[in-house]
Amino acid sequence: MARDAVGYALGALNRLASSDFLDRVGIRKFIERLAYTLTKTGFRLITTTARTFKATQKLDKPARLTAPGQTTGLFDLNVTEEQQMIRDSVKSFATEVLRERAEAADAAHKTDDEVIDQALELGLNFFAVPESLGGAASERSAVTNLLIAEDLAYGDMGQAVAILAPMGVANALTSWGTAEQQSKYLPAFADEKPPRATIAITEPHPLFDPCQLKTTARKDGNEYVLNGTKALVPLAAEAELFLVAAATDDGPAVFIIEGGTDGLSCGEDNGMGIRASGQRPLLLEDVRVPAANRLGNSDFDYHQFVDLGTLAWCGMAIGACQGVLDYVIPYCNERKAFGEPISHRQAVAFIIADMAIELDGMRMLVYRAASRAEQGKSFQREAHLARTFVKDKAMQIGTDGVQLLGGHGFTHEYPVERWYRDLRAIGVVFGGLHI
Amino acid sequence: MKVLVPIKRVVDYNVKVRVKADNSGVDLANVKMAMNPFCEIAVEEAVRLKEKGVVTEIIAVTVGSKAAQEQLRTAMALGADRSILVETDQEDVQPLAVAKVLKALVEKESPDLVILGKQAIDGDNSQTGQMLAALTGMPQGTFASEVVVADGKVNVTREVDGGLQTVALDLPAVVTTDLRLNEPRYASLPNIMKAKKKPLETVAPGDLGVDLASSTKTLKVEPPAERQAGIKVASVEELVDKLKNEAKVI
Repeated sequence: MARDAVGYALGALNRLASSDFLDRVGIRKFIERLAYTLTKTGFRLITTTARTFKATQKLDKPARLTAPGQTTGLFDLNVTEEQQMIRDSVKSFATEVLRERAEAADAAHKTDDEVIDQALELGLNFFAVPESLGGAASERSAVTNLLIAEDLAYGDMGQAVAILAPMGVANALTSWGTAEQQSKYLPAFADEKPPRATIAITEPHPLFDPCQLKTTARKDGNEYVLNGTKALVPLAAEAELFLVAAATDDGPAVFIIEGGTDGLSCGEDNGMGIRASGQRPLLLEDVRVPAANRLGNSDFDYHQFVDLGTLAWCGMAIGACQGVLDYVIPYCNERKAFGEPISHRQAVAFIIADMAIELDGMRMLVYRAASRAEQGKSFQREAHLARTFVKDKAMQIGTDGVQLLGGHGFTHEYPVERWYRDLRAIGVVFGGLHI
Repeated sequence: MKVLVPIKRVVDYNVKVRVKADNSGVDLANVKMAMNPFCEIAVEEAVRLKEKGVVTEIIAVTVGSKAAQEQLRTAMALGADRSILVETDQEDVQPLAVAKVLKALVEKESPDLVILGKQAIDGDNSQTGQMLAALTGMPQGTFASEVVVADGKVNVTREVDGGLQTVALDLPAVVTTDLRLNEPRYASLPNIMKAKKKPLETVAPGDLGVDLASSTKTLKVEPPAERQAGIKVASVEELVDKLKNEAKVI
C-alpha cells in the first residue's frame, strides 16, 4: 500500500517537475524540494515495513562453492604429474646444457654431437615410437610433445630444433606411416644411436603456402621422381632420413627419402637465426624414391601433418619468449637510470606486462589446439588462430627484448639479440605471416 | 644387495625463499618443491651401483606429507625400484625422529647399504645419517666423494678439511654423499613413464612404532640482514687504513 501511494504521488510530482508550467508560475524550486523530501521519507517507510528476515537454518560455517568435480578440459591448463616430471627433467637439461652452449652452437652453426647424445639419454625419441616397435609410447601425446618443445626452446631454440627434428619424423611415421614404412624406419629411432632425421616443407618462393608446393613428385612406374628446392631444412647436411613435402597429381604428399639418395644435395645459406639447427636449403634434382615411400595410405592427412608441425614451432616460440621474459624482468629491476630501476618507468613496465599477457595468450591458443589434436578432434581452425597470433607476438617479444636492454640488447654480449634472431624464424617457417 | 635411499622434499634450490610475515618459518605457499640435491646424488650413486651389477634393489624412502610422493616418483624415474612414504602432516620433523623411522625401516627391510644426502638444503642439519648409524650400530662413511663396494666391504673416500680420507666399512653401512660424488642424470622420459607403475607403499609412523614428536621448538625465523652497499675509496692508503682500522683484517 505504502509503495503504491508513494509511487503515484512521486509519479505525479515528477511529471509536474519536468513540465514548463512550473517555470512559468515560478514555483519550480518548491515542487522539486517537495519531491525530494517525499522520496526520502517514502523510502524510509518502505524499508521499515517490508519483509523481515529470519534465520531459517543454522550454519556452522559459511557455505562456499567448491571447484566442480569434473572439468571439461577446456580451461583446465594443469599438467599431469607425469607431464610435470617430464617438464622438470627437460627444463633442467635445457637450462643447464642447452643455455650454456647456446652461444657456441649459434656461432658454429651446429648443435654439438655431445649435446645430441645427452638429449638422446632423455629418451625423447622413445616417446614418439610405439611400444610394439621398441619405443615407450602408448597413446597420442600432442600436448606432452608441445611441452617438451617449449621447455627445450626455453634453453635454446636453435639446438631445440636440432633435437626435435628427428622426433618430428618419428611422430609422423607413428601417426601415418604404413605397416611396412613403420617396421622399416621406426625401430631405428628407438636404437641407441638413432638416425638424424628432418622434415622439409618450406620453399624459397614469395608468399610460400605449404598447400601450394612448387616441389613436384612425378609418378614414373613404381617410383616417384622429385624435383624442387626446399628452404630452412634443419640438420640438412647431416640427416640420414628426410620427410619431404611435394606436389603430386592428387594433391600434396610427403615422401620418405633416405640420406645419400642420388640427386639430393644441400646448400650453404644458414639463415639469420636458429643457426644451431644446421638449417640449409635442400636441393632435389630427379630424386627417385620407390612409390612405397610415399607416407601413409589414403588416411594420410597433409593438413594435419603441417598443422602439427606448426604447433611444434609455436611451442618452441613460446619457450623462447619465456626465456626473454625471465631475462628482462631481473635486468629491468637492476638496471638503473635517473637514480632508479628502469622498471619504475611505465614505458618499460608496460612492455613487460604486455609480454606476460601475450605469452599467456599464446599458450592458451596453442595448448587448446594441441589438446584437441590429442583428443582426435579437428584442430585446424585452432592451430591457425594460434599460429597467426604466435607469429605476430613472438616476434614482437623478440624485438622488445632487445629494446628493453637498450644498447646492451644490440650487442653479442647479451643473449637477447640471439633470441631476437631465433624468434624471427617463426615468421617464415611454414609460410610467412601473411598466408 | 639391497640399498635404502632416504630422500627429502625441500624447496627447489633455484627458489629465492622468503620468511613468513609472522616469522614462524619459511613461506612455502606456491613455492616450487624438489628433491634435495644431495639426495639426488645419493639416488644417482645407488643407480650407478645397480648398473655395475653390485646392487639388485633400490628402495627410496621419505618422511613427509602426501605431496612428497612426487619426489619418490622422481627417485623411481631416476632408477629406484620401489619406494616407501612414511606419511605425516607434521611440518618440521627433526633429524632424530627421521633417524628413528629409518632405523625401523632398516630393521624391516634389512638393506646392505643406506645411502643418503649429507644434509638437506632447507634445514642444513647434517645429522640424520650420523644419527641413523648411531641408532643401528652400523659403521658410517660421511661426506663421500667416492664409493667402492668390494668383498663385503665398502670403501668410502671422504672429503675432510685437510684432504681426502678413505675408510673401509663392513656391510651393512651408512654412507652420506657430498657434492662431488657424482653428477645426477636427467630422468629420461621412458623411465618417468615406467615410474608410474613402480610400487609406492604408504605407512604411518605409528605402524613403525615411532613417535615423530619434536623435542625442539622453533621460536623465530628471520631473513639474514641485508648486505650494505659497498663504497669507493680514493686511494690505496685509505683502503689500507680501512682494512686495518675498520675491518681489522690486516
